[in-house]
Amino acid sequence: MLVFRKPIEGVERPQMPADIVIVGGGPAGMACALRLSQLIDAHNAQNPDSQLSKENIYVLEKAREIGQHCLSGALLDPRSMRELLPGFEKEAPLDAQVTKEAVYFLSQKSKFKLPITPPPLRDHGNYVISLNRFVKWMGSKVEETGITIFTGFAGAELLYDGDRVTGVRTDDKGVDKEGRPKSNFEPGYDLNAKVVILAEGPRGSLTKQLVSKFDLAKDANPQTYGVGIKELWEVPGGRIAPGEVIYTLGWPLTTQEYGGAWIYGGKDNVVSLGFVTGLDYPDPRLDPQRVLQEFKKHPLVTKLLEGGKMIRYGAKSMPYGGWWAIPPVAGNGWMILGDSAGFLNSARLKGIHLAIKSGMLAAETAFEALKKDNSSAAILAAYQKKVESSWIKDELWKVRNMHQGFEQGFYAGMFHTGLQMITGGRGLRNRYPAHAGHEHMRKLAELPADGGDEAHLLGPAKGDGKLIFDKLTDLYHSGTKHEEDQPSHLIIHDTNICNERCVKEYGSPCQNFCPANVYEMVDDATQPNGKRISLNPSNCVHCKTCDIADPYQIITWVPPEGGGGPNYDGM
Amino acid sequence: MPSANCQLLIYTDKFAARNSYVRSNVLKILVCMKQVPQKDAPLKLNDAATWIREDVSYEVNEPDAFALEEALRQREKHTGEVVVITSGPARSQQVLREALAKGADRAIHLEDNAFVGLDAFNTAKAFAAAIKDEKFDLIFTGLQSDDYGYAQTGVILAELLGWPHATIIMHIEKNETSIRVKRELEAGFFQYVDMPLPAVLTIQSGINKLRYATLIGIKQAKNKPIRKVALAEVQAAIGENLQKIERLYVPEKTKKTVHIDGTPAEIAKKLVDKLRNELRVL
Amino acid sequence: MPDAILVVVEQREGKLNRVSWETIAGGQAIAAATGWTLDAAIVGENGSALAAEVAAKKVTKVYAVESPKLEPYTPDAFAAALKQLIAAKQPKLVLMPHTYQVRDFVPKLATAMGRTVISDCIGFKHENGKLLFTRQMFQGKLAADVSFASEAPWFATFQNGAFRGDQAEAGASAAAIETVKVEITDGVIRNKPQDVFKEAKQAVDLTQAEIIVSVGRGIKEQKNIEMAKQLAEALGGELAASRPICDNGWLPMDRQIGSSGQTVAPKLYLALGISGAIQHIVGMKGARTIIAVNKDSEAPIFEIADYAIVGNLFDIVPPLTEEVKKAKAGS
Repeated sequence: MLVFRKPIEGVERPQMPADIVIVGGGPAGMACALRLSQLIDAHNAQNPDSQLSKENIYVLEKAREIGQHCLSGALLDPRSMRELLPGFEKEAPLDAQVTKEAVYFLSQKSKFKLPITPPPLRDHGNYVISLNRFVKWMGSKVEETGITIFTGFAGAELLYDGDRVTGVRTDDKGVDKEGRPKSNFEPGYDLNAKVVILAEGPRGSLTKQLVSKFDLAKDANPQTYGVGIKELWEVPGGRIAPGEVIYTLGWPLTTQEYGGAWIYGGKDNVVSLGFVTGLDYPDPRLDPQRVLQEFKKHPLVTKLLEGGKMIRYGAKSMPYGGWWAIPPVAGNGWMILGDSAGFLNSARLKGIHLAIKSGMLAAETAFEALKKDNSSAAILAAYQKKVESSWIKDELWKVRNMHQGFEQGFYAGMFHTGLQMITGGRGLRNRYPAHAGHEHMRKLAELPADGGDEAHLLGPAKGDGKLIFDKLTDLYHSGTKHEEDQPSHLIIHDTNICNERCVKEYGSPCQNFCPANVYEMVDDATQPNGKRISLNPSNCVHCKTCDIADPYQIITWVPPEGGGGPNYDGM
Repeated sequence: MPSANCQLLIYTDKFAARNSYVRSNVLKILVCMKQVPQKDAPLKLNDAATWIREDVSYEVNEPDAFALEEALRQREKHTGEVVVITSGPARSQQVLREALAKGADRAIHLEDNAFVGLDAFNTAKAFAAAIKDEKFDLIFTGLQSDDYGYAQTGVILAELLGWPHATIIMHIEKNETSIRVKRELEAGFFQYVDMPLPAVLTIQSGINKLRYATLIGIKQAKNKPIRKVALAEVQAAIGENLQKIERLYVPEKTKKTVHIDGTPAEIAKKLVDKLRNELRVL
Repeated sequence: MPDAILVVVEQREGKLNRVSWETIAGGQAIAAATGWTLDAAIVGENGSALAAEVAAKKVTKVYAVESPKLEPYTPDAFAAALKQLIAAKQPKLVLMPHTYQVRDFVPKLATAMGRTVISDCIGFKHENGKLLFTRQMFQGKLAADVSFASEAPWFATFQNGAFRGDQAEAGASAAAIETVKVEITDGVIRNKPQDVFKEAKQAVDLTQAEIIVSVGRGIKEQKNIEMAKQLAEALGGELAASRPICDNGWLPMDRQIGSSGQTVAPKLYLALGISGAIQHIVGMKGARTIIAVNKDSEAPIFEIADYAIVGNLFDIVPPLTEEVKKAKAGS
């Protein structure tokens, strides 16, 4: 019997007043808190008689430690960090400055290096970083300023009063598998806040609730996503220099799939590599983790990794939809930052700098709201305006139609992209439409039984323990851990669909697209198709792929008990 | 000439002074806690191969979390004060912060990198020196640490303080001036022991469900006092380590897998033969 | 006079705790390596009666340390008694088995004498005249070779199974037994222990089991676990499982072995129908002997198994259980 997580009813919840609650301690949330603190300090220095307090400003971070759930390649464009903390390079943990980039087009055994690196992928001036370490450092700076970061606490629900967001409810702790309070049960707190800032990363669960409740996305393109599967490797010296950046297109993907790989040289012979697969592929049997393993079989990668050791694994989704997929980002008592809003440049494959900038802009608006003691939609709308007149818009406007161009396949996409580059992003029309990724998924009946050209991407990877790993082995290296005795935080709204329809129509793709072996179809003679959906929620790495890719859209990811999740040390 | 009443007063005062913990109604408990590398953290050896490298994630030693939980429950039953103490570099303060967030009243941090390299004997000596002006009724430690696994510090501390002690404690009941504890023994046996106070107890893990820190607890923890004790303050009490890790290494497993073939009946006989004669488990 | 090793054996319920033979075997091994002599001591009221058993082993002398105050066991009494013995006889090295009782008093004893204990050792090394004791660190992930940096007496305790009790050599003739009466003054003993009793344990502690029979997905159905249970009982061991079995509720969570369950290092681990995913392996690879039964010859479990049986566990386990029962009945 699957019991799904939901806030316990009929229990008295502690109430805690707050001025500002930032949900999510990633780069956007931390930048917001830092900027807010700067503005308050400056104000207090000038206004000894009307001091503003930081006492009631909180950051909620679901991981046990700051940065623990942060995963990215990553390459940091320092533009916004330089605005936030001039001279930050002197104290921030940076692996290396980018020294050279190369873009390869791969076929199964060979590679073709693009003679010119396309402008969006030129990274001179950027830094190779570990986002986990960078955010940890940002967090220490936030704590120094006196803003409280609550680690191990998730935002479970938003609180409303009519059309106003009035706060956040944190997760209930100590609830058993059947949904009953255990002896150490602690109800989630109601943080009654003047302003709630959502910085949950891609496919934020509170953001999803908010967008759905107020139909915020009605005028926007549907958001589309990719999933990045990453491995961190220690390799013998001399293979790749710190700051060396490689992008690949093509193999192992076919023209039907969108995606590509990155390889970044970090310091101490640590290599970050990963494969991003657009979550709009047609064959439901495709397994993104398998795609990464196939990629590693290419001689370019095998030569790099031979004799090395895989030290960490992880996965995270990323929003590709671009400018047109961004919903309104401010409203009555709320603002949305970073990947939760969709501030990601899918041509440059960068979003961290945009997340940071959005955090700074939201902080300025939140500061005004604090001063005026007014956080109505009218006041918070300033954030929307700031974004639209900032370099966030400038940058994203130029690539506003990038991902949509690929809906018809690789060659169409390249054509549109080329056109967009010389028309300031317009291409054939100002706004290209988009379809949600899961709508591209075809039914098994429409596809060749043996997978055709995609066969090598379908189904689970078989590991050799040295270069290629099966999913369970990879998963072990994500360090993911949860309190075992709790309800499932992957909510399936109708398991009959899983057991009766999906098995036949799509072959249960959840088993394939989940990078963490959460979903399994087990034998069950009582079911019409002989199989039943079974979950291993404690394997979850919080990537949100299932919430995004499930063809029936019946999966809702909510945060599990705070403190649980992957351990992305060094990622 | 002192009246009989006076004499009685003098006698009572002397008695009370010797047993001053009786006079106060407050039960003061010290919980010794340690920060250890996270359970699943990949460990790397330092250059000298005598310890691990610092760049690893840390967490509270899980047995100590159970000791803290027990102390908090005792305080709830008897009113009192729970003080937590740890020794280690700045990062180990996290353990104290979490304890304060869960409800401990104050903390003592022997802060210095050098404390990491002290053996159990010296660690206990440092603790004893740091608490010499306090008057605790009970001192709890976890069963053992997840990094060293010696299970000694609590027992050594008891001897240094001249206090009675008991180990692997499942249950504590406090009476007026003494406690009755339940000791776990091997093979499913248990034993109750009556002990006077003050005493040192090492607490078994898993005896209670650990409580969660609440948001309010975390906020309040920021204002709870953490007394810092520098190495210099306890230097006089500690000496050279009495034992030395000559080398730390990854255990080599020279495993040669032996296949056992045949019919199930043959396999059974071969296995039993091995179990009996080679492995000596039968 | 060569240095002496003193092994302090342990009594339990009026009998010698058989782990003591392991410590004697260990002491004999160190004596052989160093050229030191080996004595033994037995503490407690019934000491003299049991001393003869110890004296049958190859030791130079057996001390029966006696005092009425040694019954029942208290750490105060044992530490006081042994302190007197050690001060009188001046051994270089004192060895004990790492039992709950020894853990309870030996750090106190060592501290009272201004010395230290290297506890829970799994072996020793004698290199260039230096004695090193090996112990597991970080729950078995690493090992350490530890030396004494202090004067004698040195104290060390050995983990269960570090040596084999059946390898304790018998002596050519019975060793001399010396009764040592110790003085334990009033007020030394502060604890008042009540009688020992047995209680049905709520949770099983697999970390204490010496033999574990563990089932994985290969067991297929819940009702088949009974077969594994029979084998465990026949062997005198505990039943355990990999995560999927406990997730299904077929066995309680406290029987789960692996990264989200218990980490064990028993003498013998029998893995039935367990594939050997890394999440499970990390919980049991410290076992001294691993026997794996799996019908998939490429199952990763075979990489860490000492004995590999590629076959159908439903065919193999029942006859195995029968043979085990026969062997136990016959001996």
